[in-house]
Formats: sequence, C-alpha cells, structure tokens
Amino acid sequence: MSNIQLQCLLGIQGKDFVMIAADQTNSHSIMVMKDDEEKIYKISNKLVMGVAGDSGDTTQFAEYIAKNIQLYKMRNSYELGPSAAANFTRRYLAEYLRSSTPYFVNVLMGGYDKENGPELYFMDYLASSVKVPFAAHGFGGFLSLSIMDRQYKKDLTEEEAYDILKLCVQEVHRRLFVSLPNFQVTIVNNDGVRTLPVINSKSS
Amino acid sequence: MSILAYNGGAVVAMKGQDCVAIATDKRYGIQAQTVSANFPKVFQMGPTLYVGLPGLATDTQTVFQRLKFRMNLYELKENRMMKPKTFSAMLSNLLYERRFGPYFIEPVIAGLDPYTSEPYVCNMDLIGCPNEPEDFVVSGTCSEQLYGMCEALWEPNLKPDELFETISQALVNAADRDAISGWGAVVYIVEKDKITEKHVKTRMD
Amino acid sequence: MASVLVPELPIPGFSFENCQRNAFLEHKGFPAPKATKTGTTIVGIIYADGVILGADTRATENTVVSDKNCEKIHYLAANMYCCGAGTAADTEMTTQSVSSQLELQRLHTGRVVPVETASTLLKRMLFRYQGHIGAALVLGGVDRTGPHIYCIYPHGSVDKLPYATMGSGSLAAMAVFESRWKPNMSEEEGKQLVRDAIAAGIFNDLGSGSNVDLCVIRSSGPAQYLRTYEEANVKGKKQGSYRYALGTTAVLKTKVIPLEVESVSVHQVQPMEVEPSC
Repeated sequence: MSNIQLQCLLGIQGKDFVMIAADQTNSHSIMVMKDDEEKIYKISNKLVMGVAGDSGDTTQFAEYIAKNIQLYKMRNSYELGPSAAANFTRRYLAEYLRSSTPYFVNVLMGGYDKENGPELYFMDYLASSVKVPFAAHGFGGFLSLSIMDRQYKKDLTEEEAYDILKLCVQEVHRRLFVSLPNFQVTIVNNDGVRTLPVINSKSS
Repeated sequence: MSILAYNGGAVVAMKGQDCVAIATDKRYGIQAQTVSANFPKVFQMGPTLYVGLPGLATDTQTVFQRLKFRMNLYELKENRMMKPKTFSAMLSNLLYERRFGPYFIEPVIAGLDPYTSEPYVCNMDLIGCPNEPEDFVVSGTCSEQLYGMCEALWEPNLKPDELFETISQALVNAADRDAISGWGAVVYIVEKDKITEKHVKTRMD
Repeated sequence: MASVLVPELPIPGFSFENCQRNAFLEHKGFPAPKATKTGTTIVGIIYADGVILGADTRATENTVVSDKNCEKIHYLAANMYCCGAGTAADTEMTTQSVSSQLELQRLHTGRVVPVETASTLLKRMLFRYQGHIGAALVLGGVDRTGPHIYCIYPHGSVDKLPYATMGSGSLAAMAVFESRWKPNMSEEEGKQLVRDAIAAGIFNDLGSGSNVDLCVIRSSGPAQYLRTYEEANVKGKKQGSYRYALGTTAVLKTKVIPLEVESVSVHQVQPMEVEPSC
C-alpha cells in the first residue's frame, strides 16, 4: 500500500514569490524511517518542485526532470519558464502513466518568471496539471486548504505567507492522525531559491 | 465510482438562430476535494469552433494537446480552416482508435461552419460515437440534470442574448444539484461576426 | 529518421497505449465507464422487387436517452445498406470502414460489388475481434444474384434469411414478421410490414423509441433512404414558455472578441470524374 496520502505538500503564491513547504517524514508501512528527508528539489535557478509519493519514484522523477531542464538550458541557452517546465513535467508523467512502470508521485511546482511573475502548479499522479494561487497534497491538504482559503489574499508578503504555512502545520500537528513533525520550506523569487527555517513544534 | 467523476465537471452546448453557445463549469477537484475554481474544460480550436472535454482532467489536457497538434498540421497542410464536422470526425477517429483503452472524456463540440455559418453541435461518448442533434448536447457529471434543464428551457430560433440566458440557467441550475460541478462558469456565444465570453456568477459551495 | 516535416507514419489499427493505465485505475476502484449502447429494433425483409430495411431512432446510455433521433441505417454502397445495433460507436465505425473497403473494391473491379462481399468483410472483422466489437448488424442489398438479407452477430456468425430482426426489440418485431411476412410482397405491403415491426419495437421495448426510418433498395433502380418515414412519437407542444427574462443571469465579466473577415476567396472545384457506382 502506498503512503502517498500520508505525506503533505503545501504551496502558496504571493506577490512576487512562491513558497513551498513539504513534510520531512519518510515512512515505510507503519514505521517512520527518517524525519529530515528533503522532498523539495531545486530544478533550476528559479524553479523548485515538491514531490510526494513512493520513495524511489520521488527522487528518480525529480532528478530526471531537473537534469532534463538543465539539458534544455545548455542546448538552447535559455531556461524553461515555470509554465513550460510544468507542461514538460506533465507530459513526462502522462507518458509514464501509460507504461508498465508508472511514477506514483504528486507534485507542486513553483517558479519565478520575469514576464509572468511567480507561478504555482498543482499536479497529481494522474498527470493533470493546473495553475493555482495555493495548493496542498495529501491528507494534510484536507486540513490546510480551508486555512489557506480563509487566509489567502493577493499580494501576500513573504512573512504573511510563512505565517499561513505555520498555521497549516500547526493544524496538521493538532488534527492529523499521522506524525509529520518537520516541514521544510523553500521560497522562490526574482533572486532565486532560498531555504527558510524548518517549521516544527518548536517554531513559535 | 466512475473514473469520469474523479475530477468532476460539466459542459453543455446549444444551437440558436445563426449562433451557438457552449458553457462549462470551472471546478477542478480530486474526488470531493476542490483544488481549483479556474479550470474551464472548453477550448477554442478555431475562430468559431469550440470543444469541451469534461471527464478525467489528465485526459482533458492530453486530448486537447493531441487535438491542437492534429488541427495545426491540418491547417498547415490544407491552408484552410477546419469545418466543425471535419473536426468531429477527427476527434471521433482519435477516440475510436483507443476503443479498447479509451481516454476518459465525453467531448462536446460547438461551432459555426467557417464557410456557411451553419450552427453545429455534437457530443460523443468516450469511444467516439458522434451524436449531432438539432437542439442541444450535454456532457459531464451532471448530464442527467442538464438533460432535464435543457429539455424544458430550450426553444428553437433563440437569439444570441436569449440563448445566453437559456444555456446559463440550464448549466447553473444543473450544477447546483451536483456536488462536483460548478464553482463558477464560462459561457461562449459564437456568432458570425463576434464571440462573447461571459463569466457567470454561481454558488461557490 | 522521423522529423517534424516528415513525420513517421502512424501505425494503423487500434492503439492500446491507455490499457495498462486503465487496468491500474480499475484496480484502484475506478472501473471504466460503459459506452453508448443502442437498445434497438432493426429489421430487414425481402420483398418482390428488392429489400426493405427498417430501424428505430433511439440511442441510450443505461436508462438515459442520449439521442432521440439517431441514424441506425448506415450507407455501405449504392446497392446496400446496413442497420446496426449494439455499441453505437462500433456499428458506426465498422460500417464506415467496410463501406470504404467496398468502394475500393468497386473501383478496382469496375463492377457492382455483391452483397456477399460486404457480409464476408463484416464477419471477418467481427470474428477477428472475438465479440469485443459489439456490433449486431442487419445487412440488406441487391446485386445481380437478387435481393439478400444477412444477420451478422458480434462474434462473427452470419445468417442468410428472407426476413430478419436484431436488437433488444427483435422479439417484438419478429412476432410481427412471423404472423404477416410472405414471399413476393408488394412494395407498399412490405413498407407497411416493416413499419409495423419497428413500431412494435418502439412501443413494446424500452430500449427502442422515437421514429421509424426505412430504406428501400430496389433491384430496379436506386436505393431510397426514407429518413423519418413516420414520426411514431410526436413531442407534445409546450403550452407555456419557460424562457428566462433577459438579465436573469448574474454576469461577472464579459469579453467580446470581434471576428474580422480578412479576405474572401472562392475556389471553384471541378467534380472528379468517377464512374457512377450502380
């Protein structure tokens, strides 16, 4: 049985940035193996991808996408924008869904583009992709989405977005039956990718 | 539960007097969880040609991309616009090719013939059996409600503005009785000389 | 090597690319939905001067009527038509494909293609797919050997009969034929009999409904397709109008995209010279 729904990805797009948070738990069956796993991958200078799913699939998938987007940049001397990258990822996921070895991964992709500003893409393992202002994957999403829906406004600042993520994590800690102690947070803006402090029970 | 009801959504199209209308809801969800309220399932394929692809969202996107590709090739090769009837034959063949492993969408096509301006509506089942009636076509998770609404509201020879009210009320009221459709709607009224795109206010629950 | 300008020729035949995924989804508890089936009454008889085919015009998806006036009598060639029951897409596509094969055969041989040929093409196709193509057909036509009616089943078996019925209304229709069919009927008698058989299906079988379509194929002369030969069920006239007053719908945003005609050019097309088919 897969634990894809037990993992949690959160994403918010603000005024000039996208913030993605992911839980850091790696579990097999009923046992927690690790609680400092990295589930957010840097794809290129201004593009990150949060991946939740079967443990082998996530790394393999994220690295394949990352390397191919790098290859594209080297071949064409310009980068894929977030929407192009999301389309590429969707296509690849859709093709593999029809093979004997499908990737069982849910994805949030966030990026910053000079023309279009910040963009957040929600993608499920069936390879449907949609651009959203905020999104969440997994059972944690059931608790978080209502918080984000209430708190979200256009032109969020970084601090406000981080606070919303904190509220979501607190709710996950309080109400979700799975233990997801740590959430790593990554932000993408015009200056590139930056890691923010981990959200856990110690963060106020 | 049917896989066609995994993401939810509804599309309806109607003929009017020298015009056609096509309307879609905007919800995208994963079963009962709404993810986005900005995911229209209707796409423009030509100046006066629209296609709606409600069903499993991943196939909505894949089939749209395949259709766009085939259509671009046709227009490059033939150097003329595709007629709605030709377009439905193309889509029908694309779907029937996968007779034994179908895409989970039930398409709706609406448009005016680019040469004669003849109104045209058509829907298909998931393996591409076309149905070209004289009045309206429906598809999606609340198709049964839509059949009821359209059967009561539709009249022959509706003018563009009357057609807009008819199709909007049909969709809005049908989607109100379906938990996984709604969350906003878009209506396109296609006339010979213009297209009117209207975003309709709906319940958001 | 394939390129954008010279794309690789697509592989003909069915594509099975989605099968694995769909099996996986089925395993997860999302079964594939059913395609449109035509619960149907279709019939065909031989009369003095040819054959008459008949069909109702209802298409259903489970219990929902998905098309109130669909065409179930399909063109195969000028001297033969074919009624289809079963999975709607299968009857449509199978007859389309066989129709084009028959036309190629006609152009190749320069003769009127015998009805036997169509029957063979259809049964081979259906037998090859072992009943997975759910088409139940009544094929009728005339050729130099006279009039013929064939009943073709989804698994590829064939009956050659003087009168035949198919579909969910076949029992009702057959009852009419068994009591009233006789050899060498006149055209008027024949049309009336076929109409009555279809009407029996329309009124006694829930899967059949709406109108009666006929097709008369005479040994002497061209086929006559009588679309909506009789409107067996006329919809009641609406007493009032449920039309919404203009402005009822709340609109959030409107965008008008004008379409401008850039240029108009009319190309006269000369009809291609092809010998007539009959």
